[in-house]
Amino acid sequence: MASQPRRGGVSLPERRAAKSDSNGSIISKLSGSPIVSRGRQAASDAVLVTRKLLKSTGKAAWIAGTTFLILVVPLIIEMDREQQMNELELQQASLLGTPPQPQK
Amino acid sequence: MATALNVPPATTTTTLPQMKKEEEKVDYLNLPCPIPYEEIHREALMSLKPELFEGMRFDFTKGLNQKFSLSHSVFMGPMEIPSQSSETIKIPTAHYEFGANFIDPKLMLFGRILTDGRLNARVKGDLTENLSLKANAQLTNEPHMSHGMVSFDYKGKDYRTQFQLGNGALFGANYIQSVTPHLSFGGEVFWAGQHRKSGIGYAARYNTDKMVATGQVASTGLVALSYVQKVSEKVSLASDLMYNYMSKDVTASFGYDYILRQCRLRGKIDSNGCVAAFLEERLNMGLNFILSSELDHRKKDYKFGFGLTVGE
Repeated sequence: MASQPRRGGVSLPERRAAKSDSNGSIISKLSGSPIVSRGRQAASDAVLVTRKLLKSTGKAAWIAGTTFLILVVPLIIEMDREQQMNELELQQASLLGTPPQPQK
Repeated sequence: MATALNVPPATTTTTLPQMKKEEEKVDYLNLPCPIPYEEIHREALMSLKPELFEGMRFDFTKGLNQKFSLSHSVFMGPMEIPSQSSETIKIPTAHYEFGANFIDPKLMLFGRILTDGRLNARVKGDLTENLSLKANAQLTNEPHMSHGMVSFDYKGKDYRTQFQLGNGALFGANYIQSVTPHLSFGGEVFWAGQHRKSGIGYAARYNTDKMVATGQVASTGLVALSYVQKVSEKVSLASDLMYNYMSKDVTASFGYDYILRQCRLRGKIDSNGCVAAFLEERLNMGLNFILSSELDHRKKDYKFGFGLTVGE
């Protein structure tokens, strides 16, 4: 499984030539057969693809998360405070007996 | 967004006419604080380019008189040094700045001096009712880095014209005329003797109560379009596109500007992968708390700053 120096993108590694083991038990013969070796290749490819997918999802999640933290969280906090202040003013206005001001 | 190549301030177009209900064309007076960019992009710049900084900032302004005030300012933080390689080099610096302001309806003087030897001075005065003079100078210890500029602005009934002289044989002139109550066109020429460059540029601005759209083209290769929409009393959204047809460089940015009672929050996101936010919160009368943050995802450069501003 040679790791090719490629930037980003998903690339499947090169396939090893299937080694066929003629002398030996039936288990080694079976494990040397092309179907099993193909299956092994497919499994390792799947692992690699999943790993790359997780990595790029992780990167995207990091960028999205920090951007959200910088752009949206202060906004929510400030709007919440503004709303609280408005409610307080409304309450105080109604307590003091003045009719509530029309809200902007 | 100055079309002059050396960064010295304004090749400003100083007319922003707006409509009043009775008259056809009314001049719109600029804000007293000079902005070192084209005034035509003022709304977009206010929303999209807050003064982001990194480190700690403390400003104290004390008024001695109704017209005269002194200011003390401390800044500590890393400063970026322009370097040849792609890596940014930051060096921690600290400086103290002392300033004095004299503000009169007819004359305004600002002076600032820093502990690293730089001196900034600005003068704005009305010579006659329609003619005003603006000058600014920046003096440094390093040789050949000081510059100064003088500009004469004439305000007509529905036009404005400005002529500028700077050191290094910099000459500039611009003219802007309002064509309809909402639309105005302007043009400018400049010539920089030191760099043997000259250029011409055109700008247009369309504004209504709710939105401002501006466009600017210059022979230096700059095309800048911006659009600001005032969504409500407190909220405005801005977007901006800058394209350099010489170097084929495009940048688009979007931002919001929330002006609430206790705070002002500006945020922007860029096509260069830059996300920035700037918060000014009023803790008390005359006391403002400032937070600034900028994340550059592409260069992986993160800058955060905080500060306090005391005084009006």
